[in-house]
Amino acid sequence: MQHAFEKIWPVLIVEVLTAAIIVWRILSAQRGKELFIRRIPGLNAIDEAIGRATEMGRPVLMVPGIGGFGVVALQALSIFSYIARSTAKFGNRIIMPVADPTVYTVAEEVIRDAYQAEGHPERFDPDSIRFLSDRQFAFASGVAGLIQRERIASSFMFGEFFAESLIFAETGNMVGAIQVAGTVHTTQIPFFIAACDYTIIGDEYYAASAYISRNPTMLGSLVGQDFGKLLITALFTVGMISATLAALDVPALSAAGKWFIELFQIR
Amino acid sequence: MWEPIARFLGPKPVEVVPYYVAGAVIFSVLVIVLLINLPSRARKPLIAIVTFLAGLFYATEFFLPIDEATQKNILTDYLVPARKLGSLLAGMTLTLGILSLVRVHGRNIVRLRAGWYNSAVLLGAMIAMVVFGLIDKYGTHEASKKIFNVLFEGMLINMDATMFSLIAFYIVSASYRAFRIRSVEATILMTAAFLVMLGQVPVGLALTAWIPREGDFAWMRLEVVKEWLLTVLNAAALRAIAFGLGVGGLAISLRIWLSLERGAYFEKEI
Repeated sequence: MQHAFEKIWPVLIVEVLTAAIIVWRILSAQRGKELFIRRIPGLNAIDEAIGRATEMGRPVLMVPGIGGFGVVALQALSIFSYIARSTAKFGNRIIMPVADPTVYTVAEEVIRDAYQAEGHPERFDPDSIRFLSDRQFAFASGVAGLIQRERIASSFMFGEFFAESLIFAETGNMVGAIQVAGTVHTTQIPFFIAACDYTIIGDEYYAASAYISRNPTMLGSLVGQDFGKLLITALFTVGMISATLAALDVPALSAAGKWFIELFQIR
Repeated sequence: MWEPIARFLGPKPVEVVPYYVAGAVIFSVLVIVLLINLPSRARKPLIAIVTFLAGLFYATEFFLPIDEATQKNILTDYLVPARKLGSLLAGMTLTLGILSLVRVHGRNIVRLRAGWYNSAVLLGAMIAMVVFGLIDKYGTHEASKKIFNVLFEGMLINMDATMFSLIAFYIVSASYRAFRIRSVEATILMTAAFLVMLGQVPVGLALTAWIPREGDFAWMRLEVVKEWLLTVLNAAALRAIAFGLGVGGLAISLRIWLSLERGAYFEKEI
């Protein structure tokens, strides 16, 4: 069982403080406060990629990764919901292969709902969301086959990806698809950068739904998480100063530095 | 107070298992019927309460101090029943996943669409794996066990390995495109990658082997340059990305836990 380590209070305080800041920003955004987000080219490219698929009359592929149902998959579905609304509007065919059965059931509802919200429920094809396999490479070969057979025009890969990421991205590249990808797994980001046209890096992944939907709750949460990062950066800076002070020969300063380091040190 | 619940959810003697399974099925059907017929206004708070309690349970279990001897706190013992509940839900959704597979490929076969025989092979393989898998687990028929072994060890594992090995070729073509010198960034990337690759192989190491390991110029040795690139530049960037992701994950978890996200995924009321 995984538990918080022995120095629970400093971590709990930082976490609760970060959470409080995020909730505060969400609530203030819901009350109508105007918030600014910087431009993210990868997310602007989503519309371009859908437009290209419309012109070519070829399908749009959306892959939510091979991870289970959790925050990463939910975030991916949130992005795909936006894409599905656009495809519903323009009448593009979509293909969404899924590796996790729980994600599959939720994905079907999310995409169906997106089509209904756009006023085109008749354009939703339940077969467009397909459960392929929960085995990593069986799923990879299934998706690679779909990309080749259907000659997809645009590919969106958001979610948890592992070794299969490059198989998807390179196969998409071979058929000339415009590709936008984002993952929380830092080891897979270089592969996406090498093979995709646009890659969402790091916390841009969590900013994506706020950026494209402009939903006040999500915008507030995004600004809140930036405040959280500021808090952690401030802690880093104090930590660096403390480490320097701890190395000094001045007893009072050294003791203060050591105290702060001890506060967060994990043995 | 929790003891009877833990006992109810714990292991059972084989002879009473069918009754528990039947009871669980009836209970699940009742809950599903109840949820479907519940008015939307009542369903939303119910989902919000269940989500909040489930999140609270896991967060409290993680942060509550543990007993050093047992490595547990008062909630730890309930993690397993909670996970079983999750597995049950996942099991139900797996059925829906298999139904999707059968629907898509069954239609391909019935309508004799192009490549229908691939769908037939897929469904045949799926049925064979289920049948021989069950015989392997519960049966005593030796020949069937051997067939399962051929299907699993002889075919599936090797096909997995084949797909995995393809990655090597994809890496070559992807890195060729990534390392083409088209911009300042690509040049820096290529130089860094070239130095790291040289620092990994004996030929590269031999190039700077003449530089003394100690002294002012030791940093020019390729293995030192490689190590610096990986552990200073690369690790710092990766940690920065990881922290961003951590805080982002916390933000989205909070939105879901506190049900602030309602309406973001489902435009209709759920």
